[in-house]
Amino acid sequence: MVEVVCWTLAIFTTVFGMACLALSLPNHWRQVTGMETSLPSPSEQLRLRIFGYSGLFASFLLCLAADHPSMAVLVWVMLLGLAAKGVASILAWREHWLKPLAGLFSRTVYR
Amino acid sequence: MFSSFRQSMAWVHTWFGLTLGFILMVVFFFGSLSVFDREIDRWSIPESRFEPQVMPSVDDMLLPILRSVEPDVQDYNTNMPLLHDLSQGPMTPRTELPADEFWAYTTHRDPVLIMGVGFLVPQPLDPEGHNHIHGNITIDPRTGKAFPDDQLKIGSRFFYPMHYSLNWNWNRIGIYIVGIAAFIMMAALVTGVIIHRKRFREFFTFRPNKQNQRSVLDLHNLTGMVALPFHFFFTFTGLLIFASFYFFPVTHTQLEPLHDYHEMVEASETGLPHDRAGVPAAIGSVDAMVAKAKQRWAEKDMPGEVGFLKITHVDDANSFVSIYRAGSDRVALVGEGMHFNASTGELIREEPPRSAVSEINEFLTGLHLQHFEHWLLRWLYVFGGLVGAICIATGFIFFVEKRKRQHTLQGNSGSQIVDALAVTTVTGMLLATVSILVANRLLPADMVGKGYWEQVVFWSSWALMLFHAFWRSAAVRHMRISPAWREQSILFAVLAVAAVILNWITTGDHLLKTAFHYWPVAGVDLSLLVSSGIAIYAARYLKKRENIAVDKAIEFSAQKLEVSRG
Repeated sequence: MVEVVCWTLAIFTTVFGMACLALSLPNHWRQVTGMETSLPSPSEQLRLRIFGYSGLFASFLLCLAADHPSMAVLVWVMLLGLAAKGVASILAWREHWLKPLAGLFSRTVYR
Repeated sequence: MFSSFRQSMAWVHTWFGLTLGFILMVVFFFGSLSVFDREIDRWSIPESRFEPQVMPSVDDMLLPILRSVEPDVQDYNTNMPLLHDLSQGPMTPRTELPADEFWAYTTHRDPVLIMGVGFLVPQPLDPEGHNHIHGNITIDPRTGKAFPDDQLKIGSRFFYPMHYSLNWNWNRIGIYIVGIAAFIMMAALVTGVIIHRKRFREFFTFRPNKQNQRSVLDLHNLTGMVALPFHFFFTFTGLLIFASFYFFPVTHTQLEPLHDYHEMVEASETGLPHDRAGVPAAIGSVDAMVAKAKQRWAEKDMPGEVGFLKITHVDDANSFVSIYRAGSDRVALVGEGMHFNASTGELIREEPPRSAVSEINEFLTGLHLQHFEHWLLRWLYVFGGLVGAICIATGFIFFVEKRKRQHTLQGNSGSQIVDALAVTTVTGMLLATVSILVANRLLPADMVGKGYWEQVVFWSSWALMLFHAFWRSAAVRHMRISPAWREQSILFAVLAVAAVILNWITTGDHLLKTAFHYWPVAGVDLSLLVSSGIAIYAARYLKKRENIAVDKAIEFSAQKLEVSRG
């Protein structure tokens, strides 16, 4: 049961991390904010990257908590791929889902 | 030849990818199915739908059964004339061959137990060779009752070998073809990253509503990149697992004496006799040896069940029993083998701790062969494999989309052929797969050679899809989308649902029942239904795209007409 909780949390943190990393890229930032000219400011970009990588690291720790390290590495690497594909699909069809996340990092998004 | 490094890489990527991509498509798809090969076995053999069992008593149940196994007729007829030395007398009749080796194998996902006997060729042409005629049997370990041997385990004996050998066994050619394809896959990954290195800036980009060529390339890059570690490691470890096969010709040709000498040295070092002594001896209690092995594993803090058991040189003074632990709790494929003297039960050898190199090797092969218990990781592997399949399929479509305009103008049928082959290897392969499942439920259970006919259905339906794909591919020449994609998707959707319904009718196992009691079958049924849903969605989407393409094609011909009129 503990491992199922850890895996579930790991899935969420990986998706969160990947979503932050996606937003840190100018192309995807523009896509989510819907403003052609908007760019994440350097500090916003830095914050997004820090949160992004922390999310991925947190998911690695969660995987380690669930399994033997050799197994956890495999689960984590596969989750990275799944989450990246998931975020890409969100950006393709449901980009507005990421708007609240962008709002967390920038006050200008909702203006 | 090329003006830039990137261009030359693109050439390698395009042309090697195109030629061997069709093989890779098969490898990726059936590899994904093989993750759940045992579950597909349960679906296809309803009598085996019960919980996984541990290895039963060897003394009471397995040995009497193994002694009753006869050498396989086909194996005898094919190989006996090759192995036997006629100058020493006539061939020993099939049923009189003495047993030389017994083995039994199970995993934590196997309700059934597979066992086999290696029969000795008494007067061999090459005394150093592998002089065995085989006889195999699958039993229900709860009762010892044998399953009919013409039943095909569609998952582990058809889809799984398809993954690594295309089921083409003549001179192991299938294994070599898959090996070359895997090698090209590695090259395609490296060249792909070089060609699309700028993509890292738009890593998560997929624009489904752009024009075909753009969105297909997006998806190709995306699926290639997000699962890059998976693609790389699985290709690499696949090659590693078969490395000994690829080098096999050397150790049995130029290096044969060295190989034989190595076997002798190994035997003297390990104390496990290389040859029979020629002195008859009875087998002692194997169950007692199993108990000892289990106790030793528990002492080493890795308690476990027996996965593989082998008795070498049966009924001889040099006979020994090898017991290996079943993989379940770790990635590395380690058996912690224990070897006992078969008559006295004395421990001859316990495999020593492994070196760093073999640890790494076992981790790498183990991560590919996945004997461990981990349902989440299994599903993640399926996802990885299917993403790989999408990557390859979109590669074909991109090839076609990029060239079809030019080919149309030149009257070249290149993109038409590639498109038809792509239809065959994408939707055609799905159809062949679901056809074998439908055939499995439709053909009567007591039919003689049922497994053979199931395979006939598989290959013939695939061939039929090939014809259909070529027949409908003329559309590509007119700048349209081949309707074969849509038609085969619809047919697949229908057959997938039919397979689920037929499973219900013929076995009484419907989803509401299996979802609560028997996940292996429920999983296969659910996957079929989900795939069917996706196929219907794809068919509807394709219809839309086809209409758009028709408009464009009309526009294109109008332009062409204007140009030709000047």
